[in-house]
Amino acid sequence: MAIVSRLRHVIESQQFSRALLEELFARSEEIKREPHRFMGRLNGQVMAALFYEPSTRTRLSFEAAMIRLGGQGMGTDNAREFSSAAKGETLEDSIRIVSGYADVIVLRHNEQGAAKRAAAVSSVPVINAGDGPGQHPTQALLDIYTIKDELNRVDGIRIAMVGDLANGRTVRSLTYLLSKFKDIKIWFVAPPVVAMRDDLKAHLDEHHVPWVETEDLESVLPEVDVVYMTRIQKERFSDPAAYEAVKGVFRIDKSSLALMRKYSIVMHPLPRVDEIAQEVDDDPRAAYFRQARNGLHVRMALLDYLLS
Amino acid sequence: MKWTATAGRVKGTVMDEDAIRRSLTRIAHEIVERNKGADGLVLVGIVRKGDILAQRLAGAILELEGSTVPFGRINPSRHRDDLHIRPVADSSDVSELPEIDDRIVVLVDDVIWHGRTIRAAMDALIELGRPRSIQLAVLVDRGHRELPIRPDYVGKNVATSVDEMIYVCLKEFENLDRVVVIK
Repeated sequence: MAIVSRLRHVIESQQFSRALLEELFARSEEIKREPHRFMGRLNGQVMAALFYEPSTRTRLSFEAAMIRLGGQGMGTDNAREFSSAAKGETLEDSIRIVSGYADVIVLRHNEQGAAKRAAAVSSVPVINAGDGPGQHPTQALLDIYTIKDELNRVDGIRIAMVGDLANGRTVRSLTYLLSKFKDIKIWFVAPPVVAMRDDLKAHLDEHHVPWVETEDLESVLPEVDVVYMTRIQKERFSDPAAYEAVKGVFRIDKSSLALMRKYSIVMHPLPRVDEIAQEVDDDPRAAYFRQARNGLHVRMALLDYLLS
Repeated sequence: MKWTATAGRVKGTVMDEDAIRRSLTRIAHEIVERNKGADGLVLVGIVRKGDILAQRLAGAILELEGSTVPFGRINPSRHRDDLHIRPVADSSDVSELPEIDDRIVVLVDDVIWHGRTIRAAMDALIELGRPRSIQLAVLVDRGHRELPIRPDYVGKNVATSVDEMIYVCLKEFENLDRVVVIK
């Protein structure tokens, strides 16, 4: 049997081996099927959610996961404005303090690399819940789990990633994870100003994952099993005119569905703005709400893995 | 909720109605894609649940391709490998097959476990004709194979322990579509 080294901190997708992914997905599946069996698994344990950037679903999903396992969650929503950070405390000091209070820290930060810095000084596991334009590894976990759940495989998947690929940390994390699977083909569909960054393209080349860059979404739709939509991230544009120029360029509506394969799926890390028309929601291929729900089970599996 | 032919406690749901429908659509697509169309295809369901699924797959292929694929049912009971232990009690579910000679037969069943039912179904099929090839579609693959048989199309792989049962409820029998784990 392969020896799977245990993870202590969850910082980036590259940390996950295929064996560990299989282990976590099997546990997620068990939790989804028989949630009552996992009640009380983390009794008495405390999760601190430190959010230096706004988030609703990621934070609530982590809190719900912790509470459903019998643990408790505490945290701060606007750590940047209201906490000691506003008084000038470094991230490292905040983490040292909080790791004395909690058994696990879930950190979202506006700076890339923040989670790594936090992990270096924390005495308890740190989970990266998004570090600026860096990564969002737990989102990638639930994304891959959703693909597997919806299509019963990840190997051989043809996927289009659409939207803000330069600032989208979810697509970065997802791309890293996908490179661990076989026969993956990726289409990057983005305006040039927010195209996928070169470091990831080089990573894919190294791992022999074929990828194509295009701005023609319509021609890609009939080719793929998964359409992964993302929001153009207004908050990461310094020039409002540049944002206005690219917002709403790529959109999935009923006419896009007509071009897509009948069994393909549309995913989105949410929140959406107007990238997916509401008329798409009722189509069985709209997988984004099921995807969000999977987040709970995958995060429960991860917390259980790290803490029990 | 009424369960027929089951004993034990329902531990959880692995597929709901929507998931079953989506899986069948995908399998229908994969069958057509792999065989480069629906020409020469025959869907043969293993009684008593596989034949319902074969019928639904034929409906999905009709919707996708506009082609009518013949479907039938096969009862593998007489070809089971445990007849000396458990003689055939009920022979009312008879096989009804369209022409299978030189056709691509897709065998359809609800769950594959040891693979012994599929082996028996292939024997029953070959007794009645000589298909060009046989492929296998299942809604659930629960592992634990005892024969070198692997499905070509799978709705969902479900990891199970040997003391668990996978039960596929279909509207035609249980008034609802759902796949559950029973222990």
